[in-house]
Order: sequence, then C-alpha cells, then structure tokens
Amino acid sequence: MIIDQKKIDEAIDTIIAHGGEYIRECVQCGACSAVCPGVRAGFPLLCRNLIRHLLNGQLEEIIEDSSSWGCQACSRCTEVCPQGVRPQEVVFAFRRYQANQLAFSTSSVTSQMNLFETGHAVYVDPKEARKKVGLPETTPTSAFDEQAKQEIQTLINNSPMGQLGLF
Amino acid sequence: MAKVGVYVCHCGSNIAGVIDVEAVRAFAETLPEVAVARKDLFMCSDSGQEMVKKDIRDGLVDRVVVAACTPRTHEPIFRAAVEKAGLNKYLFEMANIRDQGSWVHSHDHEGATEKAKKVVASAVGKARNLEPLEDTFVPVTDAALVIGGGIAGINASLALANMGHKTYLVEKEPSIGGVMAQLDKTFPSNDCSACILTPMMVEVHSHPNIEILAYSEVEDVSGYIGNFQVKIRQKQSYVDWSKCTGCGDCTQKCPGKAPDAFNCNMSNRRAAYIMFPQAVPKKAVVDIEHCLNCAGREIGTQPKINEKTGRPILAPCERACTAEAINRSIAFDPQGAIKEIEVGAIIVATGFQVMEKDWFKEMAPASPNVVTALQMERIISATGPTEGKLLRPSDGEKPHTITFVSCMGSRDEHFHNYCSRVCCMYMIKQARLIKEKYPDIAINMHFIDVRAGGKGYNEYYINARELGINFFRGKVGGMELLPGEKLRVLAYDGDTASNIEYESDLVVLATAIELPKDANVLAQKLGLQFCGSNFFRELHPKLGPVETAIEGVFLAGCCQGPKDIPNTVSQAKAAAAAASAPLSQGKVRIEAVISEVHPEVCSGCGICIPLCPYHAINMTTYADRPRAQIEMSACKGCGVCTSACPSGAIVLHGYEEAQIFAQIEALTA
Repeated sequence: MIIDQKKIDEAIDTIIAHGGEYIRECVQCGACSAVCPGVRAGFPLLCRNLIRHLLNGQLEEIIEDSSSWGCQACSRCTEVCPQGVRPQEVVFAFRRYQANQLAFSTSSVTSQMNLFETGHAVYVDPKEARKKVGLPETTPTSAFDEQAKQEIQTLINNSPMGQLGLF
Repeated sequence: MAKVGVYVCHCGSNIAGVIDVEAVRAFAETLPEVAVARKDLFMCSDSGQEMVKKDIRDGLVDRVVVAACTPRTHEPIFRAAVEKAGLNKYLFEMANIRDQGSWVHSHDHEGATEKAKKVVASAVGKARNLEPLEDTFVPVTDAALVIGGGIAGINASLALANMGHKTYLVEKEPSIGGVMAQLDKTFPSNDCSACILTPMMVEVHSHPNIEILAYSEVEDVSGYIGNFQVKIRQKQSYVDWSKCTGCGDCTQKCPGKAPDAFNCNMSNRRAAYIMFPQAVPKKAVVDIEHCLNCAGREIGTQPKINEKTGRPILAPCERACTAEAINRSIAFDPQGAIKEIEVGAIIVATGFQVMEKDWFKEMAPASPNVVTALQMERIISATGPTEGKLLRPSDGEKPHTITFVSCMGSRDEHFHNYCSRVCCMYMIKQARLIKEKYPDIAINMHFIDVRAGGKGYNEYYINARELGINFFRGKVGGMELLPGEKLRVLAYDGDTASNIEYESDLVVLATAIELPKDANVLAQKLGLQFCGSNFFRELHPKLGPVETAIEGVFLAGCCQGPKDIPNTVSQAKAAAAAASAPLSQGKVRIEAVISEVHPEVCSGCGICIPLCPYHAINMTTYADRPRAQIEMSACKGCGVCTSACPSGAIVLHGYEEAQIFAQIEALTA
C-alpha cells in the first residue's frame, strides 16, 4: 500500500462531507468492532477496519465492498466508542458515498427496492407466518396501506435517493 | 533625563524569521531619551548580557529595555544582569516581541514588525518613568506540613526530616501507607509492597523530626510562604491513643461489622478496628457509625451495675482492652480536637482514587466476578479477604480463565481523556503473579496498546509474553452475564481484524486514576488550581513540576497527575528539596512589585478587602481613622486592589500611573 497524503485528505473530506464528521478522532482501539453484530457475522470492512482503510486513503479501493450494507444501525459502536467517533455515522457516510457513486451491492439494491415498494428495508411476506400463530394476516404498517406507501414513494422520489434512478 | 538602552533580540530565527530586527532597532534609536539601541542573535546568551552590562558600566545607560521573549522565563535573567552591573534591577523592562509578536503573526512579517515597534516604544515609555525599588525579606518558621501519608507523603516527610526540618505528616485514615499499602507486589521488580513500604512507615514513625497526625484532616490554612498557620482536625477515635498498644484484642471481641474499605469492601471488619496488620501508628479506632453500643454502653454514659457482683457492666471492647485505652464513660467530642501549628512550607501529597466499576454499565458491573484492579490486588494479597488464594468472588472457586480489560475510564472522552499511566503495567504485573503461581489458568489481556515506558518496564512486559499470557490489541466492547456467573467477553483483535468471543470466570477492569472527591475542599482551603485533567496544577509542566502558583505550597505524587511509584518517590523528594529552600534560608524574599496603600489618601471604604485573592488586606488605624493596610508578604502584586480603589490611594509599585500612561501614550501615538 502506498500512502499518499492527497488520497488520505480526499477520503477523509469525503466521509466528513457525508456525515462522518469525527472520523479523525479514531485511535483504532477496536471497541466498536468488538460489539458490532456485522463484524461478528463476518463482514470484514465495518467499524475499526473500515475507518482504518479510510484513514489510509483507500476510498476508491474499497468502493465495491458490500460490508457497509451489513450495518444494522444498532448504534452499539457509538455507545462504546471512547473517542466520540460515532463509527455508525462513518459507516453511513461511506454508504452514502457508495450510493452516490452507484456502487451498490445487490443486497443493498434489494433493500432499497423493498423500502420503495413496502416501506420496509427488510421485507418478508408475513401473511403465512401470522396466520399460523393466529394473528391478522396483514400488519398495520405501510406494507398494507396504499396511502402510506404513496407518501413514502413521494418522499423517496423527492430525495437524493430518487435521483439514483433505481425506481 | 533618563538614558534608556534598547536591546533587540533575534532569538535565532524565532523573532528574526518574521520581524525585521534591524528596522525595530533603528526605530528605537529615534525614540525620546533612548541613548543606545543594539541587537544580538541571542540577548540571553553571555555575550548578549555582557553587552548590556558594559553599557551600564560605561555610564551610557541607566534604564534597560530588552525586546525579546517572555518576562515569565527571562525577566529574572536580565534583572540579575542589570543588578550585577550595578544598576537597580527594577530599572529594567521587557518588550515581548516573540510570544506576542513573531509567533502569533508568523504570516504577516510587515505587521509583526510594526507591532514590535509599538511594543518597544511602549516599553521605552515605561522605562523612562521607572523608579528604583528594593526587595524585602520576612523570617520563616522552620517547619513543614505534608498533607497525605501515602508513599509520596512518606518520602517527602523523610526527606524534609533528614534535612533537619520539623515535619508534620497529616493523614486522614487511621494509618499512613496510602494505596501502596493495599498493593500485593509492585512492578517491575515484583517486590512485595508491604516489605518495602513498612520499614519506611516505621522510620517515619520513629523519626525525631516527624510528628504523624493520623486520622486527621486539614481544617483551615492561612498565612503565606514562611508563615502558614494551619488548623488540623484530629478526628475522634473513641480510643485513648496514648494508651492503645495496638494489640487488637478489642477488634477480636467487637461484634459490630462494617465493610472493610482497606479490602475494597470485599470483606467486613469490626466496628472497633485496626486499619491493617502493619498499620502505623498501630492504633485502634471505634467506628461509631457501626458501633452497636453493647451492654447499653453509649459513649459518655455511666455503666449499669451488676446486681450480684456489684461490678459495672462494660462493653466487650472495654473488657478486652487491658491497656485501659477504651473507656466509654468519657464524653468524647464527636468532632474530635483542633490542633494549631505554624509551618513555613506545605507539601500536598493527597494521592488519588480509582474509579468504581459501576460507571461501566457495558461491563456487567453487577456481577461479583467483575472486579476493579485494586480489588484484584486485595484478592491476590496475603492480607486480603481470601488470604492470598485466587478465588472468584461469586462462589469461592478457582477461576480457569481471567480477562484483563484496559483503559476503563482513561483515554475515554466520556470520563477522562488522559492516560492513567500505570494500568498497563499493573495489569501485566497481576497477570504475571497469577501465571507464575497457577500456570494452568488462561489469561487474556486486552489493550488499546501496551504502554510500558518506564525503566525496565518493556522487559517486564516481554517476559509476560514468554510466560504464556495472551495479549490482544483491541479494546473490549462489552460483557454479557451468563448463567453460573460466567461472563461472555466481547472483544476484538485489531491485528487480524476479527472479533473475539469467549467465556471468562473473572474479569479485571483497569479503572482510571482520578483526583479524590474531597480534593476540591482542600484546594479551596489552600487556593490550589486545577489543570485540564482535573488534577492539581503545577507551576509549570516542565520547569516547575512540584511548585504551585502559591509560593510555599508544593505538590507530590498522584494529586498532580497519574504516576507510578518510582516517579512518585522522585517527585516527593523533589518537592521536599524545593520546600526545604525557604526553610533552610530562614527568610524569604518579597519582591518589590507589590501594592501599597497611601493612608493619607485612603478613605477607609474597605472595597479592596474582599477583592484581594490573597487575603492580604486588612483594616488598621491611621490618624485615628480606619484605613486599609496591605500585608506585603502576602501581596502578590496582582493589582486588583489598585484598579478597584475609588480614591486612587493604592499604588502598585512597578506599575505606577505615570508608567502606565506613558505606555498607553506610546501605543496610541
């Protein structure tokens, strides 16, 4: 790996511009990764390791990596971080950068489509399972509410997400 | 007319790299009453000082202005040079064109040069109006007070006492020894803590120049360097210490129980107790809060009489005491007694506390098997709750896996940003002691990084690796409490970028060192300041590490910042040497730059009295009228009174009205 100050500055500026404003505070202690469910599930480039790559200026090199989409937004990293880095914000900032560059993993496209169509990023048809345990087949959420769905779609179409041309 | 000499310093490239020194020098030549203006590469060098001295000796100048750096570090040097050449040292003025010039305006050469000219003109204006002043001297009480009887206070006291100074050692607990007395062994040589500490404690106790005031606290401090008056509250022990032999019989018979703070509350002691087996002074204390008042023997009441024998019915502690040191019929004052002493210098060595585990919610603090490192010290100590057997607190079983977690509350912006400096080493020490004794126990240590910077420390750390202790670079993120009081450790290995998960029987948290809560109260009494890390602030981080802003008050040990035993001892001995200086001299110099009241102008309104931060002003009578008077040995020359006086009756020597107006005139010209 070649260390190039210009690339480092570009990577950090990009992350800060996308909302990961405390990335420079990171001392690489790894507490975030110790509690991260994504890391436990085997995503290699989350929390500490993602931040390390970004601080090394490896922004373009990792653009195709799908780890960032493994973040469950549980915020445990931000809770344990002793430096106030807010690692989850860094992961999200990297995601936004990826999205703006149209560097989606397939897993993320599916969840974006789900969000657009049902209002849920993770959507599994619930009818069968709910019927089995004696619950009403539909949920009182946007998935079965036409008006709510339309509102969500209007919001997405009018947000930067709408400009990505996915929908 | 004054003959002012102006000397402009290059300070290498510090000043000359930004400011046109020759232009400033040439400008100075044009100022009124300036006799000579010269420049030099380093004015503070021998040759620079010699230039000034020669001009004075040759009769060319009788006022000196050096345009260079800060008076904070260099004014004493130039004053001394001026004095050596036969001129009054207060006929010197410094113009700071470096710290307030070239350094802050490094990108504006022209502007910095113009500002330097103004600053020099202002200094020349003041110099023309300077008047000679004389320092005075006040006598010193040859005695010292050391506050805190830990390893810092013990060393400071011994050093002072060995230099021949009477030393009072005040300790709030019933015994001296401090936190070091709680430790099992000490890095990097694995000496038994008690083995090296106890002889020193005994030496303190038997030293003819040292008076230990144990179970006592500083109540009030007044006065100034050389002449402090200190009130010390000797807390009520409910035991006649002049008779107590420290036999411990009362502690055996006492049925009252209380958590034993010496064992970090992991066991109980009796209400009548001796702090620990090697206590110095070895005296019993009755903890009245936990006393059961056996046989109805409340303090200060007469005993009931046994009808059959006609003898008084005494409490078990009284009956046990063959030295007759416990007599509950005496109406003890719960407030104890006040002892007043006079000292010339004070060393503050009040030490530290470690954070409690309850702060760290993610580390399952409710589990008894999660302990702080200080608790671990007690668990492995031969005088601890398990008498040195390594047993986990929940069930008294031997642990198979032990986890050490570093940086709990240190290097953490939620608690303390600083590094506590000793945790890496004491964790490695505890791990080594355990591994040497029980090679079958697995020990996993988790660090952000290992900091082993002291003499012999890195070797000690490498040896721990050789013993088979596992090291992981990565901070522990959390603990999960499992059935059977086991703990699931959620950690991370930064080197392989993978998470770590395992079950542990015992978890040791290296919690941060911080200033004790009650330190604030003492700081107020002494006027101590705090630094950014919330320890006591030293005078200068490099050049004044044991001095404070209050003359005659010095710092030693962890109250100034986290440090290990070797550094604490070094600092304690340094503080003793610094405190000894005024005591050995027998007098202290009072600088002439202090305020004085002109009683004929003073109206006696008293506005200045509450404003003085040094309590240096009081009322006196002058021509039958009340007038303010400044105690010159207490005055620090801050000028608050001078600027507040509505009558203009207070003059601050060295900053007199004519001098200040001349400066303003020069700056606004």
